[in-house]
Amino acid sequence: MAMIETPPPHGGRLVERVVTDPEMGKKLAKKCDAVYDIKPALSDGVPIRNVYREIMSICYGFFSPVEGSMTKAEVDRILKERRLLNEWVFPYPLVFDITEEELKDLGVTAGDKLLLRLKGKPFATLDIEEIWRIDNPEELAHKTFGTPEDNPEVVQEAFNAKMPGWVIYKSLNPVVLAGKYTIINEPKLTPPFDRFWYPPRKSREEYARRGWRTVINHQTRNVPHIGHEFLMKDAAYTGDIEPCHGIQVNAIIGVKRAGDYPDEAIIEGHEAVNLGGYIKPERHLVTFTLWDMRYGNPLEAMLHGIIRQNMGCTHHMFGRDHAAVGEYYDMFATQTLYSKGIPSYGFPVSINDVPYGLKIRPQNMREFWYCPVCNEIAYSECCGHTKEKQKFSGSFVRGMVAEGIFPPKVIFRPEVYKVIVKWWDKFGYPFCNAKYVKEKEVRLEVDLPDMDV
Amino acid sequence: MAKYISVLLDDKRMDAIKGSDLENKIDKMFGGQLNAFTLELSDAKAKEIMDAFFTARVDSRSFITDVPIAFSRTLFAEIAKTKSLGDDVIDAVLTQVDEIKEAAAKESEFLPTPVL
Repeated sequence: MAMIETPPPHGGRLVERVVTDPEMGKKLAKKCDAVYDIKPALSDGVPIRNVYREIMSICYGFFSPVEGSMTKAEVDRILKERRLLNEWVFPYPLVFDITEEELKDLGVTAGDKLLLRLKGKPFATLDIEEIWRIDNPEELAHKTFGTPEDNPEVVQEAFNAKMPGWVIYKSLNPVVLAGKYTIINEPKLTPPFDRFWYPPRKSREEYARRGWRTVINHQTRNVPHIGHEFLMKDAAYTGDIEPCHGIQVNAIIGVKRAGDYPDEAIIEGHEAVNLGGYIKPERHLVTFTLWDMRYGNPLEAMLHGIIRQNMGCTHHMFGRDHAAVGEYYDMFATQTLYSKGIPSYGFPVSINDVPYGLKIRPQNMREFWYCPVCNEIAYSECCGHTKEKQKFSGSFVRGMVAEGIFPPKVIFRPEVYKVIVKWWDKFGYPFCNAKYVKEKEVRLEVDLPDMDV
Repeated sequence: MAKYISVLLDDKRMDAIKGSDLENKIDKMFGGQLNAFTLELSDAKAKEIMDAFFTARVDSRSFITDVPIAFSRTLFAEIAKTKSLGDDVIDAVLTQVDEIKEAAAKESEFLPTPVL
């Protein structure tokens, strides 16, 4: 019987564009023709995206085989066929965008090297291959996510200003500097993020160290309630001749919408699940990826598959309304992408079965609810007490938290709730609000060492 | 399709309704680990709430959620005062929309941490 093995990186090899020798980094920085200070993109004065997170995820290999800001031809191909120019599937345009005034001030042209500073210190370089213009960002935003007319299989409503990902693309500056990024001054992750930092090279080494041949990933942007915990535990029963050896949580850390939990609570909340022994630490690994969520349901799920395959996971669990906001997409759009494909996005069959597709195996799951008759957390496809069921509604749980009501153990593990309260105390609020997002974009998740250039 | 709204009952709220007929209307959720009132709303009342508070949404259970905390607090106060779970309490709450919105604006900046 064939045993499942660790999949290769998407694109065949891991992208690693991080210079770890400070002297070499300094030399590269000195060769730059101009300097640009990275700042968050804003919408109505509130941060919506910081390109530094994309640079980190590209250079550390989470987005392999992408190596930099995309050329116009690459963006056009993605919008048309969801493929890179080298054929590998990829969902989103990723660009380094600036204003016309900034371009004028920088005075750079194709062939120049740009030094990117973060928090006032050298961070990365961009080798400018091409400078191109986005003529109509709103059109780009629509093409990025689709429309009910063009993508009737999965898009139910036209995207608008309530969809954070659409706003990110609509807010892009008109000038794109395309080319490869290289991190030349390796950032130091700050607490609490530092202990959860497992870029693909390191995560693959960690699985091997733990003896994990099969690993199932749980995507999260949430503090885990009991429904999430049972999703993780039950989905992990897949595998090959035995359940998956490891359960990886990979949290998306970056700008989120108001009402989501703070990143610090999300990551430590998942850790509390293993510290409390609900999933023993030997089988559970909490990690994260830096990314400002686009909430693109099937497209986001494609990116999630790429990230976790690059990290070395063999399986990925997908529930309903995966990485979704509102009712723009059909609630099972992600599962459609991974089961039969979405022709209008360029995938007439499952994304696992198209050429240059994904190797990570999907584990499509339905719902978990509390059943008072079974007296347990039940799986919707098992439990017959549909009339008596009590569903875990994320917004219901958030309402309970906001009212300061100590949640029963059947909703939150007490250890997890204490993590929520710990960060609530620190930020004065249990959820992301404008104040948290603004302060976070100053603080970021990293500090940079001094580098005299 | 009917819409609902849930009013959670912590110990303090349970004390406030002690001895009243409301005690017989408590829903025991999650195996009796959580107490709540469930109000069934007419379409008109549900629409009024949705229109009044832009954050409000209907979740997968057909419950209106994401209303301001001040709304939930005011709703419980009216229930405790009138001992009713009917449309009349919603009407009474909706007469206080401006005050609720003012309180909600403050609550979007800061919420006191619960005592564990």
